[in-house]
Amino acid sequence: MIHLVTAIVKPFKLEEIKDALRGAGIVGMTVTEVQGYGRQGGKSETFRGGEYQLSFVPKVKVEVLVDSGDVDKVMDIIAATGRTGKIGDGKIWAVDVDRAMRVRTGEVGAEAL
Amino acid sequence: MRQKLRRLREEKDTRRLIAVILGGKMLGIVGVLGAMKAFAWLFESAAWAQSAAPIAHKANDFVSPINTVWVLVTAFLVFFMQAGFMGLEAGFARSRETVNVLLECVFDTCLCGLLYWAIGFAFQFGVGNGLIGHQFFFLHGMTAAYGSTKVAFLAFWLFQFAFADTASTVTSGAMVGRTSFKGDILYSIAVSGFIYPIFGHWAWGPGGWLGNTMGWFHGLAGGTVFRDFAGSTVVHTVGGFIALAGAIALGPRIGRKFKRDGGGPLPPHDLTWGAIGGVILWFGWYGFNPGSTLSAMDWQGIGRVAANTTLAACAAGMAAVLFVYPRTKKWDLGISVNGFLGGLVAITCPCYWVSPAGAIAIGAVAGIVVPLGIDLLERLRIDDPIGAWPVHGLAGIWGTVSLGLLATGQYGVPTADGVDKSTLVKGLLYGGGTAQLRSQLIGSATCVVVVFGFSLLLMFAIRSLKGSWNLRLDKEGELEGLDIHEHGTPAYHMEFGQGVSYTTLLGSGRSLSSSDVPRGSPVPADKEPV
Repeated sequence: MIHLVTAIVKPFKLEEIKDALRGAGIVGMTVTEVQGYGRQGGKSETFRGGEYQLSFVPKVKVEVLVDSGDVDKVMDIIAATGRTGKIGDGKIWAVDVDRAMRVRTGEVGAEAL
Repeated sequence: MRQKLRRLREEKDTRRLIAVILGGKMLGIVGVLGAMKAFAWLFESAAWAQSAAPIAHKANDFVSPINTVWVLVTAFLVFFMQAGFMGLEAGFARSRETVNVLLECVFDTCLCGLLYWAIGFAFQFGVGNGLIGHQFFFLHGMTAAYGSTKVAFLAFWLFQFAFADTASTVTSGAMVGRTSFKGDILYSIAVSGFIYPIFGHWAWGPGGWLGNTMGWFHGLAGGTVFRDFAGSTVVHTVGGFIALAGAIALGPRIGRKFKRDGGGPLPPHDLTWGAIGGVILWFGWYGFNPGSTLSAMDWQGIGRVAANTTLAACAAGMAAVLFVYPRTKKWDLGISVNGFLGGLVAITCPCYWVSPAGAIAIGAVAGIVVPLGIDLLERLRIDDPIGAWPVHGLAGIWGTVSLGLLATGQYGVPTADGVDKSTLVKGLLYGGGTAQLRSQLIGSATCVVVVFGFSLLLMFAIRSLKGSWNLRLDKEGELEGLDIHEHGTPAYHMEFGQGVSYTTLLGSGRSLSSSDVPRGSPVPADKEPV
């Protein structure tokens, strides 16, 4: 069985998370630059002495396909390395993956990881 | 009796009162007179008419206007190098510190202009002693033309300001990504107001010891003097070594791992601007070197200097690419830009006195010196994101020394009306012996020892300051990126958001602080690491 773990994290935490997951034997991840807001509701910046409001804050989305037995471990690693303790640290969630296939070989299921 | 006493006391009080009033009035009068005097002095409101000679322009004097136009045009080109630095440094940096790099260049230019008006020009080009000038403070006491140049005094000032600004901007290159803006202001004052002008006086100022007598090293120099035509040492070695001192005092950026620790350089974020910035610098060099004749009357000289400048850059850019190709099997854009800039730095000192073939040789060596310098910094675990030290410091030394090897012995010095060939500059390889080479080595070594030594003290002193004036930004700000933390805005947006307040002298439309932000409301940029 396979799960997809998705995490929204602060961009400058990405390198640490990647290193920690590699260290734990998780090979491969996909990252996307995304924008969004959570409880902090955006943020404000300044330009020529004025402030303007941004509704969406830049974040990085990390997606990792893992064996279902590793889900808790992976979520714990991402949470531990991605945490600053300040508002805007992000979210992690995991969903069951119905099928998966490696494009090069056609392997399916856990073999495709 | 009693009444008499009281009256006396009253009289005493009255006397004191009168004395205080009179004293105050006198102080006031002295103050006002002093202020009027200072105002008149500073703005030359009264003295101007006498101090500047009226323009006695003869119909057949075409020399002064032409020289002045020449110096102004080249000053504008040198000033445009700021745009090149902005592109190069921003492009080679990460996107999170782009605004910081751009503002540093702009702010340093403004700061340098005012400092060079107040004290810099006086230290560098005022008459004084061998070590420092002390004339023309606040540009007071100007003459129609500077010295014997037949260049309008203020045109000469502008040209030299553009040079000072270049030295000051070179410095920031090695310190990108982790220097606090307040720290930048502190060291920039030292560089533009003191270090550059004072060393510049030694080489170029009236009576400067390196350019005239060689001081203690008079015997060693064998009758020659230190020669630096447009500033391989005065501008570039100075800037490069202050930059190195800054990079050492700061330490590397967070996350920068070096080759021997299994890492490598952090990637640049915009090579388009990096390369365009480099080429703008090359273009600006056509002011830097040919303009340093300060005379268009030496028409062969300015042609030679411009051509030599070009050939050295071509040789260096090509040498750097070919030198790096065997390692990576890639045609490397970044090293080509650093390479041709190294060639330009190197030819800056000898450009007037070497042949075109000599310029090619000087450039080719510079194109190899630069990548080797980058390797050395990597080995020493010093983080120089732009390559300021290899390009300006190291290639500056090579260029300065190369004059002692490759000066052809055909050329003297440019003058306002043409050329002065009473003293020809000849290098070792043209049979001129080692005298000029020794002078060049003395000048270059002096620069490295004095400027680098003083800069290390300065940078470590700023690094040890408490609080926000410390040279290095705190960890949180650096991770967040200087743009957001120091300047409140990133350089690149996916959207522009909506204005929420505007702060004026009359007060702010709305103030934000972390404590009064309810959930669901925006958090100020500097309070929320993203």
